Amino acid sequence: MTAPPVRASDRPRVLEGPALLSGLADGPGLVAHRRRYGDLPRVALDDLLAALDRLHVRGRGGAAFPFATKLRTAAEGRRRPTVVVNLSEGEPASAKDTALALARPHLVLDGAVAVARALGAREVHLVLPCERPRAVAAVEAALAERHDRLRTVLHTADARFVAGQARAVLELMAGRANLPVTAWTPEAVAGHRGRPTLLSNAETWAQVGRLVLVGEQRYAALGTVEEPGTTLLTISGTTPRVHEVPYGTPWREVLPEEWAGRPVLLGGFHGTWVPWEDLAARTVSVAAMRAAGTPLGAGVVVCPDEPPPAYTARVVDYLAAQSARRCGPCLNGLPALAAAVHGVADGSGDAERRAAELAGLVSGRGACAHPDGTARLVRSLLALRAEVAS
Amino acid sequence: MTARLRVDWPSCKARGLCHELLPEIVDLDEWGYPVVGGEVTPDLLADARAAVRMCPRLALRLERPPPL
Ligand code: SF4
Ligand code: SF4
Repeated sequence: MTAPPVRASDRPRVLEGPALLSGLADGPGLVAHRRRYGDLPRVALDDLLAALDRLHVRGRGGAAFPFATKLRTAAEGRRRPTVVVNLSEGEPASAKDTALALARPHLVLDGAVAVARALGAREVHLVLPCERPRAVAAVEAALAERHDRLRTVLHTADARFVAGQARAVLELMAGRANLPVTAWTPEAVAGHRGRPTLLSNAETWAQVGRLVLVGEQRYAALGTVEEPGTTLLTISGTTPRVHEVPYGTPWREVLPEEWAGRPVLLGGFHGTWVPWEDLAARTVSVAAMRAAGTPLGAGVVVCPDEPPPAYTARVVDYLAAQSARRCGPCLNGLPALAAAVHGVADGSGDAERRAAELAGLVSGRGACAHPDGTARLVRSLLALRAEVAS
Repeated sequence: MTARLRVDWPSCKARGLCHELLPEIVDLDEWGYPVVGGEVTPDLLADARAAVRMCPRLALRLERPPPL
């Protein structure tokens, strides 16, 4: 199995932050958590939906989907909904959900419990990353401290890039192989056992948890008018660093000095290459970065020592090996794409054209978005080269 | 009204029957897997239904756009 260029870590350096990651010195325990935030209030679904709408709270797994829309869909179903906390963090370069598991597990759990109660859900499922044992232990320890009168069910996701994908998680929960399958309906309509299923990653739940605990005003005291609140970033490295920054923070303040002038891979292995100058001129913003064609994704930034083509080739080798080998275009196309990117790195004649052709061919043709994410990465490499050449 | 032909990729095993039945919108890639190139317009609906029925892997579905 091809190793990832960055290994999944369960020992990130978690930096003190303004909201989720404030007061780290108090530790992750429930007593300190309750001393800081008080008891978890009961919230009415309508009030919560209204607050989530006003604050534009979005999912933090990468797709940035409005959380209120998903919650509303799950609430509108005829059957009792199920809540799922996805801590599997399949992207090896990311460590933010792991950081929350280690440092702020009760914020994550409070978010899930508050929403489960508002929805009338009886079960909260937690999906843990098998390759990050410290995160697993931290969540288990946090659960042992609580008495929420909800059934909690633990699942352990495989160490595979696509294992955390929503449908792969539902398959795992159903006792089948932890691999993506075709989604004919959104899981918020029909997910686990056909029930409306509200599945979000740990950071999303922690943000919702903090909103319920501190209220709308304090939540909106940070960030911008369009994008209130904060977001977590992982600065990849031998020891990844997890930062919490208010939306609107200039990237220049976040990027390590020694990265200056070098291309940065933003959004992890399904992300995009950005010249340092371009990124440094922007702010941390879902909307602005999406408009610039460099989505924030799950907030991972990588700045490898290797030149981008050689590094991308290694990433695509890894991503090709991570294909669940079930969908033909992914199974055949990603290895071919990897070969083409090696060609680009080696400077062979036709490789760029072939890479662009394959990126187009694999996109949209799989049970999950793995081919699309891989294609996005490769296209951004080609764009970066064109920019450097011009 | 147009519909959309969707492939259940884990099921599809590239036998290419869909391309034979519906060459107007189904091409094959270099490995023999279908490339769906457009919407199913009303005149193609019968052929598309046949493709859905006859796919040896039952890997095709016809999706109607949700009513507005
Ligand atoms: S698209 Fe690729 S990674 Fe996704 S389910 Fe299919 S084979 Fe697996
Ligand atoms: S007929 Fe079915 S199995 Fe064959 S290529 Fe078409 S979709 Fe795939």
